[in-house]
Amino acid sequence: MSIYSLYMGCSVPANYPNYEASMLKVAESFELTLEYLNDVACCGSPNLRAMDYWGWALVNARTLALADITEHDIVTPCNGCFGSLKDVYHLLKHDTEYRTSINVELEAEGLEFTGTSRPRHFIEVLYTDVGLDSIRKKISKPLDGVGIAIHYGCHLLRPGDVTEITPEVLSELVRVTGAHVVEYPLWKQCCGATVLPVDEALAIRLARDKLKSMKEAGAAFVTVVCPACCNQLDLQQLGLRELYGEKFDLPILFYPQILGLALGFDEDEVGLGMNRVPAKPILQHFSK
Amino acid sequence: MTETGEKKGLPDVFIEPINMSELDRGFRKEIQSMPNGEELSACFACSTCTSACPVANIWEIKPHQLIRMIILGMREKVLSSKEIWLCLTCFECQERCPQGVRVTDIFFDCKNLAAEENMIPDSIVALGKELLEKGQLYIVTADWEREDLDLEPDVPGLSTDAVKRVLGGTRTGRLVKGGK
Repeated sequence: MSIYSLYMGCSVPANYPNYEASMLKVAESFELTLEYLNDVACCGSPNLRAMDYWGWALVNARTLALADITEHDIVTPCNGCFGSLKDVYHLLKHDTEYRTSINVELEAEGLEFTGTSRPRHFIEVLYTDVGLDSIRKKISKPLDGVGIAIHYGCHLLRPGDVTEITPEVLSELVRVTGAHVVEYPLWKQCCGATVLPVDEALAIRLARDKLKSMKEAGAAFVTVVCPACCNQLDLQQLGLRELYGEKFDLPILFYPQILGLALGFDEDEVGLGMNRVPAKPILQHFSK
Repeated sequence: MTETGEKKGLPDVFIEPINMSELDRGFRKEIQSMPNGEELSACFACSTCTSACPVANIWEIKPHQLIRMIILGMREKVLSSKEIWLCLTCFECQERCPQGVRVTDIFFDCKNLAAEENMIPDSIVALGKELLEKGQLYIVTADWEREDLDLEPDVPGLSTDAVKRVLGGTRTGRLVKGGK
């Protein structure tokens, strides 16, 4: 049994309790103990990084320092939080001068960034610490080979030297559930979430192009591991109907919802009714 | 100057001359001293970053041009450009740069310098205001959904005071107080 410090961020708990609940169920199944990390700050998102790099580095270094005290790795289900934490971790590991300045500030609270606790995305913990074989053994209701397109989310994969996560991590996790991974031309493209405050039309257009590419490649469902990407791909589908007159009807599921169902949890336990585009059609694809 | 009498539709000036007296020769060093800016000089203007960018086709100034402008010292034009704020931060450019220039990171540095001079979209300052006042970007509104799933009612573990305290003393605090 492994213990991790859990950092939820604000977007998952506020907007996607179905992601939070399904992640906790999946973690329990594999005896991963996720302990909520207390007194942590919001990561601020890439927009804080754009406006106030020092403040962004400081709030995230503070969170990392709190995790250091627990001596457990810090785990998050959100690409935005992961990107912020991992980027600041990378900076402080490589730039000793910056690290010293940050630690001078943190000292006022009796904190210090030591780098003991590594920031990790929940799916990478599943892939690395649990492993595909252990997951496979526990799957009681595999999928029937239905086509699922993966939207990885930029800050999960890039910059690669910082995130240290390759696309195989998620694509293998999807395959192990029995699904067929649908390849599509725009698989690397951004969902548009970051520019939403600056240019809404551009952000919506990017989400639309992405959905179109997935749909045309034959995806029946889509999986995501980030609340901001889910906003763009799930919630925006409703707006796209008005704006572009296009109806995609493409259900967007968080990966732990899919894995949770394959492990035998019921639809309420993974909060399937909360997905904006009705996701229940996926239930027909799990073996009885 | 190009004669435009016979061929209609051609611009008067093909290439806008760069006014040497307006260049800020220290700009390159300024960026290089910022986080992940060191590799800037390695750029040989191959424009791979522009090819990789999903939105460069709607940018007037392309990513490789912005990098070249930084190297030349066109500080004012770069920091006042709308393009730096339209960066998706998807890191596609940075990932593909054959010279290891951290293009996306450098655009973050540019946005920080622009913000310091109050050249920042109101909507971004508004996000800073949210962080300062509420201590988080998203607030739980549908607590019954959390209850249905046996989750605690509020955002677990989050200290809103920490964000308010830290950012109150940094640029975010100054920008929000700056009368927006």
